[in-house]
Amino acid sequence: MEASVSAALSVSALAMAVIFTVLTLLIFTIKALVKLIPYKAPPAPPARKASASSAAPGQDDQVAAITASLAAHMGKRPDEFRIVNIQSR
Amino acid sequence: MLGVACILIYLAIWKKFEPLLLLPMGFGSLLANLPLSMMASTDTGGLLNFFYQGVKHEILPPIIFMGVGALTDFGPLLANPTTLLLGAAAQIGVYTTLIGAVYLGFNMQEAAAIGIIGGADGPTSIFIASKLAPHLLAPIAVAAYSYMSLVPLIQPPIMKLFTTEEERKIKMEQLKPISQTVKIVFPVVVTIVCCLLLPGVTPLLGMFMLGNMFRESGVTARLHETTETHLINIVTIMLALSVGSSMTADSFLRIETIKIIVLGLLAFSFATAGGLLFGKLMCKLSGGKVNPLIGSAGVSAVPMAARVSQKVGADADSSNFLLMHAMGPNVAGVIGSAVAAGVFVSLFGDVGSAVDTHAALAPVIGNPEPGMQALATVVEVVKQ
Repeated sequence: MEASVSAALSVSALAMAVIFTVLTLLIFTIKALVKLIPYKAPPAPPARKASASSAAPGQDDQVAAITASLAAHMGKRPDEFRIVNIQSR
Repeated sequence: MLGVACILIYLAIWKKFEPLLLLPMGFGSLLANLPLSMMASTDTGGLLNFFYQGVKHEILPPIIFMGVGALTDFGPLLANPTTLLLGAAAQIGVYTTLIGAVYLGFNMQEAAAIGIIGGADGPTSIFIASKLAPHLLAPIAVAAYSYMSLVPLIQPPIMKLFTTEEERKIKMEQLKPISQTVKIVFPVVVTIVCCLLLPGVTPLLGMFMLGNMFRESGVTARLHETTETHLINIVTIMLALSVGSSMTADSFLRIETIKIIVLGLLAFSFATAGGLLFGKLMCKLSGGKVNPLIGSAGVSAVPMAARVSQKVGADADSSNFLLMHAMGPNVAGVIGSAVAAGVFVSLFGDVGSAVDTHAALAPVIGNPEPGMQALATVVEVVKQ
């Protein structure tokens, strides 16, 4: 029994040493990789172009709603026409 | 045994103990123990005997690992690679259990198979048990999956015992973003490094990294989706049924089963303590920048152990968010337990044939692997 336990201790010490060695090797590899291939932030999405319509700022919701209604009424796709002006009375 | 099968089904459905595994496992056991059903893993020609070939020939666990790889994000680990050491430290549970198992009278191969329960990794436990101690497969699988489901109950008391209130409140810096190219290169590098050093780990780690390549490459969306969903589910059913079919009275209703259940609990506890203590060491060395609670996530059990770290940290300070920091050691634990399995395979598995192969090749290519010869020497010593 004693011999077996001492063998188990030897195996455990050896195995822990192997695990720490392998994972330490991986740590240095990862650090090298991260240094060699640094993170680059993806390009910012292009700023939304100002609407071609002359609708006043804050009228986007109204434009969207009117566009949808007109598209349904005329049987056209929303990109086939453009609302250029909204005048309140 | 029919009663044991029903208990497993009960635990799966009503107690939610790893139901995806314990339910088919329990039902497999039920089928296997019905007289004249021909459903035991040993019934040649029976349905579950065919499924069991996937365990016997080490096919199913690596496929599960591929699915786990497809589900794994290495980002937190790559952002803070030193957390790999926490995954290594948590493997102390494997080896304390190995020593305990030898003390209780198991031979070295059986003890290795029992010890790997401390890796908190079901497929690895099944892989090693089927390779080194197939007669103990059923109790080892049941213990591994049962304790994995009990991680939220087992770990918190140990975490509170080994850490102070101040340590639990430590807030960690936000992780740096990682290049997608690094995420793609990493699985290839790990496969090369680990599999060259420990050939025995290749089936598990190689498939794990292949699954991760499916995820990160961005060009195999269909394979990624299949691997992380349908394939892993199908293989889980087959694996659990196979393990269940090996749970017959003569293999399960033995005093060894009780010893394995007790040793499994010790394995989880020591693994948690090992990770925590190393976390405390990292906390000291970093000047208080590392919260030791993330060390307990080094036991694998992804992502349950990381969630437990988050919860215990949040209990100390509700504005403390440790989840992503704990995912690093959590994933490191998977790699660590696979490496631990590779060490066992190298020591007690097929190392003899590998050494023979290298001996045959030595006149042609020199002496390629002194490490293998050293391992073979250790095996000889252990055998004596």
